[in-house]
Amino acid sequence: MISLKNVVKTYSDFQLNISMAIPKGRISGLVGKNGAGKSTTIKLILGLVKPDSGEASVFGTQSCKLTIKEKEQIGVCLADTGFSNQLNILDIESILVKMYPGFDKAYFQRKCEELKLPKDKIVKEFSTGMKAKLRVLVAMTHKAKLLIMDEPTAGLDVEARNEILDMLRNYLEEDEERTILISSHISSDLENLCDDIYLIHDGKIILHEDTDVILDQYGILKVNEAQYATLDQTYILKSHKEHYGYACFTNEKKYYQEKYPDIVIEKGGIDELILMMTGGYR
Amino acid sequence: MDIILNHSSMIPIYEQLMDQIKSKIIQSVLKEGEALPSVRTLARELRISALTVKKAYDRLEEEGFVTTVHGKGTYVTASDKQLAVEARRKAVEDAFTKAIDKAKAVGLSKEEILEIVNIIMEDES
Repeated sequence: MISLKNVVKTYSDFQLNISMAIPKGRISGLVGKNGAGKSTTIKLILGLVKPDSGEASVFGTQSCKLTIKEKEQIGVCLADTGFSNQLNILDIESILVKMYPGFDKAYFQRKCEELKLPKDKIVKEFSTGMKAKLRVLVAMTHKAKLLIMDEPTAGLDVEARNEILDMLRNYLEEDEERTILISSHISSDLENLCDDIYLIHDGKIILHEDTDVILDQYGILKVNEAQYATLDQTYILKSHKEHYGYACFTNEKKYYQEKYPDIVIEKGGIDELILMMTGGYR
Repeated sequence: MDIILNHSSMIPIYEQLMDQIKSKIIQSVLKEGEALPSVRTLARELRISALTVKKAYDRLEEEGFVTTVHGKGTYVTASDKQLAVEARRKAVEDAFTKAIDKAKAVGLSKEEILEIVNIIMEDES
């Protein structure tokens, strides 16, 4: 569905160099710190940014050569809706009807009601949560095969985030071939939704793993100096010096649980993964 | 399907899911030929990734509890009572193996381990 092959994009102070392949029906999460290259990656996939070298493609077509028909099969949710702040839901609806042959007006209206989006208020007067819901809804309503979402839940409270995630889950349930690439800062959102996770750091993918493998097999060992000195390092990915000794990140939690039953081992989630693997662990 | 997952447990989610579907089959709550929810439906209901559900379904198929008909769905297979009993026995064995490993790791002898088992059994009776 999405393929990036050795795609390189150089800016004066930043270089992105990545490969990824997202098959049909996969829900992939893109995580990383601010400035790691998440949004640039998404822009490359959409053909909004041209790569210096390498190939970015969607549906097997080079991203910058996507036809209108192909673009209609993509739903995009970026930081901004792209609609003027002065428009209301009814205005936006009439634009979408013209833009997408697959636009489902009845669904859109029903959802606006469910999500309590006022029809006659201009978008400028919407709350942050309302704007976010509108962005996601606009991306979904033309029944696209592929959704690309850049931080759809950023800045939202837990209830609004869950509403958006449930919208995505319903969307996925309707057709098993639907595919989503989603970037987020909020790891719990991705842990409960994504099949696999790409961790991007300094413009490179430093880890790609199934979400449930991260949750089940990754962990943090907390050891003192003496334990650390004799610790088998085979499956330790990263260690950080702590006041009590060391925090060691492993992708084989079970191995250490069995070998060292006395060591404190915590579950490793996506937050721990980002912190440990990108060096910011504290 | 009423399934309760514990996200703070060290038992992997797909394993929890598998165990609960398995016991529903063994207890005939899920009957032969009955369809399981689609992967994405269950993923939505339980708020877990589809791949986790798929993993659980795949393992259940390997163990002969369900069959997946491509493009149609996943169905409970003819419930073989013998198979069910064996699966339960296997689970108990696994739990014992784990406990024995732990006991050995702290240096308990065979006799001491058996003594613990006897004490626990007597407490219960």
